[in-house]
Amino acid sequence: MGSFLLAVQAVLHWINNRLLAVGVVLASTALAVMVLAILLQVFFRYVLNNALPWPEEAARFLMLWMTGLAAPAAYRRGGFVAIDMLEYALPRRAAAALSLVQLIISFAVLAVAVQLGWNHIGSGWLFNSSSLKLPLDLIGFQAVRVKLAWMYMSVFAGFVLLSVVNIELMLRALLRLLGHEDDLAPIPGLPMAEAE
Amino acid sequence: MLIWFLPLFLFLLLIGLPVFFGLLAAPGIMLWLNEQERDVALLYRNLYNGMDSFPLMAIPFFMLAGELMNRGGITLRLVEFSQALMGHLRGGLAHVNILSSMLFAGLSGSAVADTSALGSMLIPAMEKQGYTRRFAAAITAASSVIGPIIPPSGIMIIYAYVMGESVAALFLAGIVPGILIGLSLMVMVRIMADRYDFPVASARTSWRQRGQASLKAFFPLMTPVIIMGGILLGIFTPTEAAAVAVAYAVLIGMFVMRTLRLRDLPDVLSRSAATSAVVLLLVGAAMAFKTVVSLSHAPEILADIILGLSENPLVLLLLINLLLFVIGMFLDAGPAIIILGPVLGPVFTGLGVDSIHFAVIMCVNLTVGLATPPMGLVLFVASSVSGERVETIARAILPFLLMEVLVILLVTFIPGLSMTIPRLTGFAN
Amino acid sequence: EYTLRATANSNEEDEDYDGLVVFKDYVEKASNGAIEVELFIGTQLCSNGAECLQGLADGSIDIFISTSGGAAGIFPYVQVLDLPYVMSDDRIAEHVLSGDFTRTIRDMALEDSGGKIRLMTIGNTGGWRNFANTQHRVQTSADLEGLKIRTVVADLPQELVRALGAAPTPIPWPELFTSFQTGVVEGSKNGITDIMNMKFPDAGLKYMTLDRHAYMGALWFMSNDSFMAMPEDMRQVVVDGFYQLQQATFASPKRKSIQAYKDFVAAGGDLYVPTPEEKAGFAEAAEPVYEWFKQNVDGGEEAFNALTEAVTLAEQEVSAARAADIQ
Ligand code: NA
Ligand code: NA
Repeated sequence: MGSFLLAVQAVLHWINNRLLAVGVVLASTALAVMVLAILLQVFFRYVLNNALPWPEEAARFLMLWMTGLAAPAAYRRGGFVAIDMLEYALPRRAAAALSLVQLIISFAVLAVAVQLGWNHIGSGWLFNSSSLKLPLDLIGFQAVRVKLAWMYMSVFAGFVLLSVVNIELMLRALLRLLGHEDDLAPIPGLPMAEAE
Repeated sequence: MLIWFLPLFLFLLLIGLPVFFGLLAAPGIMLWLNEQERDVALLYRNLYNGMDSFPLMAIPFFMLAGELMNRGGITLRLVEFSQALMGHLRGGLAHVNILSSMLFAGLSGSAVADTSALGSMLIPAMEKQGYTRRFAAAITAASSVIGPIIPPSGIMIIYAYVMGESVAALFLAGIVPGILIGLSLMVMVRIMADRYDFPVASARTSWRQRGQASLKAFFPLMTPVIIMGGILLGIFTPTEAAAVAVAYAVLIGMFVMRTLRLRDLPDVLSRSAATSAVVLLLVGAAMAFKTVVSLSHAPEILADIILGLSENPLVLLLLINLLLFVIGMFLDAGPAIIILGPVLGPVFTGLGVDSIHFAVIMCVNLTVGLATPPMGLVLFVASSVSGERVETIARAILPFLLMEVLVILLVTFIPGLSMTIPRLTGFAN
Repeated sequence: EYTLRATANSNEEDEDYDGLVVFKDYVEKASNGAIEVELFIGTQLCSNGAECLQGLADGSIDIFISTSGGAAGIFPYVQVLDLPYVMSDDRIAEHVLSGDFTRTIRDMALEDSGGKIRLMTIGNTGGWRNFANTQHRVQTSADLEGLKIRTVVADLPQELVRALGAAPTPIPWPELFTSFQTGVVEGSKNGITDIMNMKFPDAGLKYMTLDRHAYMGALWFMSNDSFMAMPEDMRQVVVDGFYQLQQATFASPKRKSIQAYKDFVAAGGDLYVPTPEEKAGFAEAAEPVYEWFKQNVDGGEEAFNALTEAVTLAEQEVSAARAADIQ
């Protein structure tokens, strides 16, 4: 039992290491492009006196994807704020059991969110973005308005990735409970800035 | 019935569930038990919509700007500038520590970044001059809370967004309270300096030296001028100001100070992206939570309870300060604001307290909470930077906390301290 | 038995609220308590058109009032109401909106939302749009030349402003006050009550031209599932409730704007009513926008034809009625 769980955990661990690293790179890129889009907006409005319609929505689009792609990596390394006094106060095994309970509640939230997120995307195909278009007119076709579903997918993707992370964390808590603490490969660090 | 989501939420928090999941699980469970399944969908949509916001974009941008400034040698220049101004006073380095924090606050919205950046530089320097390490760590932690009070401020952006206030108005309202905290800490240093015979840091500097230090600190010190000036003149919105601050930080870091390299950028970007992703999810969850707050009529119910205690707004403000102070001991400022703002804000604005004034009371109080034991975030950082134990710093910080509590009371009972600047500039009524 | 959750993103001073109060009262009484109406005024449930319409589509909200701009993301052709100088006055507009035009738009919207979102009625919110600016009196469209006019982020209002020779500048509504103060924009196209509620004259907005270029239609949508889940007698109560609501929102802005105009003048504002010739000049300058609308907006041609036909018919009927009444 223990060795089977360890093997599953190891596979998930391997996948998550790579998947989330890619997510963080994409999220960083999105952040950089957001800054450029808003600077462009300021430049066009105040220097050229000719406001562009799209940078604001484009930057929001990128911010949502940044969130969906970077948050799972942060969750994995314990970057979600929690009051962990109780966990520190408890003996090791009890703490592992408590964190398993927390993870099960979190997983229930994520499972519902993934389902609702899928419906949300479905309704997003009805709605056009107000300012974003694929500029197909540049190559001789009509410009096509971007559907909001492409924005909605960001948060859905985030919840899917969070669920995958959550499963790995549940396995790890279970394995710690079973006394396999030392067999677990450490979760790679993710440097985070200071929010407060 | 639905109102039980509040105690359930509290319970989930206490057993250590991440705040993000608690904000969704508690209302979700109660809606489900109440057979209001269709509102669970509302919860999801408002989570999404809560994050899909242009004003919130100021959070990742200011965070990024702060990180970029930290990479550059900006901290060092601010300290040198402060030293040229205040180093000759008795307790010189303690004053320098405070003034540096006030200047740093104009560039960054983070108390933790302040503690780690200034602490790693000033705590060893103070020790070398004969201050005790616990005193050096305590003054570093105490003064770092100015960071999120003087603009820019991450928690004020969050509060403004969650409560529908103007970011510019909150920024402006924080200036005087932030300066007051700095001055009150200097008063305490002055009192202690006479008593314990603190050393001066350096001989009085000549005006020429001061001029040189000012020149070196000029570009970093222009940051708050650009941010607040641009907002005040209507040249850009706070979010755009934050983007401009990023560009400015890159420019001076790479070309003026030459301490920032292109290859530093990926790391800075990923640090900021990861942290702001967490904050944004939290804000989204708070907006979903807030929906259930209004569906359950919690503000009305709480207002009844609170008004049952007293009907005198002054007494109630005192009580609320007490509550915020206690909560600040256990919870970080951001999550506390996200949770308490929607619940308490309407009650007090209903009593005639100006919404901007109330925002400042909450933000200042909870920010000071970052430096209060047992769970004060900056105490832990000060401990890891200095190597001193948290308990020791917590004791040494008490005189400074006393001053900060006095400022909280002043800010609470003299609305003019926070309201004058936003009123004069037309950002508040 | 049935609980209808209605939301409006405005406040209790707004005519949307007046309409909802009338609706709630009528429906609850006429259904003998079988239908309960819950009002959520503000942004507690959702904070813009796209969000709230999604709430209708997924059933978490039952009734929502949207402006044409707010609904344009899903039903772009409702912006036909924003086309300038199509309907000449309140009487024509009220006649048009009470007739088959609204049914045509309802059918189009039902189809585009996959049978989820039902247009119940179109009322008014805020009267008519007029041009107002901080610089000088505008008598003809030439006076608009070069003025930076605030619009929402949408193509149609920007086209209109451009057609009149001005420069469209998208600015979020909450930032408009400071933008006037600092000269980032010099004018806007809004109704008088919105202008006075936001205290824009304090920011220098002093010159208003009552060109009444667009009727500020209020589109009242309902979740089609919630509606069809009711038996026919209850549906009839709801439909009649929306009739009552429409009448209330026709009347309320007229009453409210009286004080608003007084306040505007008292604050030193300059009100200018263009002569019929000047107004014809505005209409002529704006003409290219109609063609643009038909070509570039999905469903634009169909909606445009439905509206212009309805206007022609309304003009005939109203003038016949007038002719009979003055004898
Ligand atoms: Na700050
Ligand atoms: Na400091």
